[in-house]
Amino acid sequence: MHLKKDKKLTILWLQGLTCNGNTHSFLNLSSLSLLLSKFEILHFPAMQTVYTFESISECKLSCDILIFEGTYDPLMKRNNVFLKDILQHYAKGAKYIIAAGSCASFGGMFKASSPERNSGILFNEKEESGPLTEYKEKIINLSGCPIHPEWMGFTLSMLVNKQKVFLDELHRPLELYSSLAHHGCSRNEYFEWKVDAKGFGLKEGCLFYEQGCRAPMTHSSCNKILWNEVSSKTRIGTPCFGCTEPDFPRSALFTTKTNMSIPQDVPLGVSKRSYLTMAGVAKTFHVKRLEGKLIDYKTTS
Amino acid sequence: MITKQLLEQIEGEASVYFDIQNEKVAFATVSFPHFRGMESILEGKNALDSLVITPRVCGICGHAHLMATVRALENAYKNGGYEINLTQKSQKIREFTLLMEMIQNHFKWLYMVIIPELSKLTTLNLENRPLKGAFAASIAAKAIALFGGQWPHSSYMVPGGVTADPTHIELLQAQNYLQELIMFFEKESLGFSLETFLSFESCKEFGGFDSDIVSLEAALMDAQMHQKGFAYDRFFVMGEHGFSKVAKVKSTRTFGVESKYITTQAAYAPQAQSFAKNALYKNAYYETGPLARLMAKGRPFVKNMHRRYKDSAYSRVMARVYEIASMLSYVQNLLKDIEITQDSVTPLVDIKKISAEGVGVVEAPRGPLVHRVKIEDGIIKKYEIITPTQFNIGSSSLEKPTPVQMAMQGLSKEDALFIFRTFDVCSVCTTH
Repeated sequence: MHLKKDKKLTILWLQGLTCNGNTHSFLNLSSLSLLLSKFEILHFPAMQTVYTFESISECKLSCDILIFEGTYDPLMKRNNVFLKDILQHYAKGAKYIIAAGSCASFGGMFKASSPERNSGILFNEKEESGPLTEYKEKIINLSGCPIHPEWMGFTLSMLVNKQKVFLDELHRPLELYSSLAHHGCSRNEYFEWKVDAKGFGLKEGCLFYEQGCRAPMTHSSCNKILWNEVSSKTRIGTPCFGCTEPDFPRSALFTTKTNMSIPQDVPLGVSKRSYLTMAGVAKTFHVKRLEGKLIDYKTTS
Repeated sequence: MITKQLLEQIEGEASVYFDIQNEKVAFATVSFPHFRGMESILEGKNALDSLVITPRVCGICGHAHLMATVRALENAYKNGGYEINLTQKSQKIREFTLLMEMIQNHFKWLYMVIIPELSKLTTLNLENRPLKGAFAASIAAKAIALFGGQWPHSSYMVPGGVTADPTHIELLQAQNYLQELIMFFEKESLGFSLETFLSFESCKEFGGFDSDIVSLEAALMDAQMHQKGFAYDRFFVMGEHGFSKVAKVKSTRTFGVESKYITTQAAYAPQAQSFAKNALYKNAYYETGPLARLMAKGRPFVKNMHRRYKDSAYSRVMARVYEIASMLSYVQNLLKDIEITQDSVTPLVDIKKISAEGVGVVEAPRGPLVHRVKIEDGIIKKYEIITPTQFNIGSSSLEKPTPVQMAMQGLSKEDALFIFRTFDVCSVCTTH
């Protein structure tokens, strides 16, 4: 089937086992109306669209961009049709396939519902053994739990502009996932000088040493492209849980795993020896400014 | 003959099986086909991990799940011998973000579900612009993210308080987003001021205005929704907050309630497998959500509406609209007197020292959300989640129908399908 030049790309948003979090996160996109005007939306779960899910499940249509949200469960049925058949049908004809969120990318949260059979569409955690390996050239993974709306907005815009999206080995766009969640964190100075947060609910201190923060080991641009345009987990004192990585969700998420009081995982690409040397030196200095409260409302008048 | 109808735009998928006789619904059952096993995912995990896992029950009301979890954990601390006293600051911030999530939910339901569905049943002109709902919701989400870091799926509430340590900058930004949202509601939805709407004593006062809400009200009348969709005329509110009154309401009389009387039963869905359970209070069905909350509070606008139209589909829809207004007004005051010098988190012992059971109940957009947890040495042994849609949209037998089954009886299939949505269904929460 040939597409006319002026025809808009069609999008079909299909769901597996999901909480709808990616759908709702996407709806927060500030340029949503503008973006949607560039496409023809065949089906989107939160709104009435051109086709009902009943028509979609008959597998007689086709789409240019298939967006899949949720964990893939080979035994799941949607409207009494096996999800695997619906997915295969639309994947075959699609020009691009986007996995929206960590469930669709790697299995994510709901892999745990049936760990022996559930997976992402291309990857099962890190292993390339999902149901769509045949179409891997056209798959883009936008991991995150949920997906960041701007990441989806960026990817769809690149596709509509016919620009190449460069991917990492886990099929995530490099421009979104080459940096770490740590980049741009407002607590970076505390990390540099090894000043721990003394607990939750504080502006001061780094969450890496005690509170389980995964930002230095997690590929994402959460602290560069802020959430809801205003903030991020680490900025408001919640540790990064590493939700864009294939091993999400890990366990004991609010605690840093240590061996003999040394963090088990050190920043990506840094050898443990270099890290310990650097940390040891930094710790010998005491930066008074970083040891107290940034603002002491009680003594400032 | 039994006919099946697949339903969408209900936060997932459900099927309604209608028994149609003489073109009217004689009876209907509901099945929710998808199951994720959230409760068993939680078992064996560090108790604090539930703060990350339970928000992922639901993409639209995950914040309510977070708050139910943190309340359940704090209750377990208390039952384990360590009572936690939250500062006013952390309580107010929690309540602010919870209410902003409800407001975003109601806006989406109004513009993405109710107006498009109602326009199928009325000859009146209803402007169908679903993205207005998404836009309003995104402003509410920004205000949440100032304290919660992000929305959806924040985990910023922890036992003892909140992880955020805001300055007056964030408080001011939150007030600004709130004002923006109120202005949107006044200009784009109401056509008059929030204050005017809140001064209304009855829905007769809509006359003479022209706006989305005024058209909605007229269309509900046109579709005779004030004479359709009646359930048991009894309501149930369980979450304790500054904005709610915990009670059961029978007709107009209120009675005290205790969460221990909430039980669940397997759903009756003979046509298809359903993973839903029905929720009951003292073995009886109650309606939950905005109409229930406003009946318990006895707001004049809602009481007048109820006097005329009882628990009709009209009352259910208009109560939800009115709740947007009353919540927007309430949250304005909530932020005003936050004492910034108070602690965000009160000190507490490590969760590993806790072996106890805990219950957390909050008002979620659709009504009471109950989390029950059993912890041993800081590890979750058992977790139970009961969601408001389980109260409203259960599926039972003809002898003892659930509120939604009762509300659909005797109507045309088209009317029944609209009425199903007036309860604001959350499929993903129902089966979790």
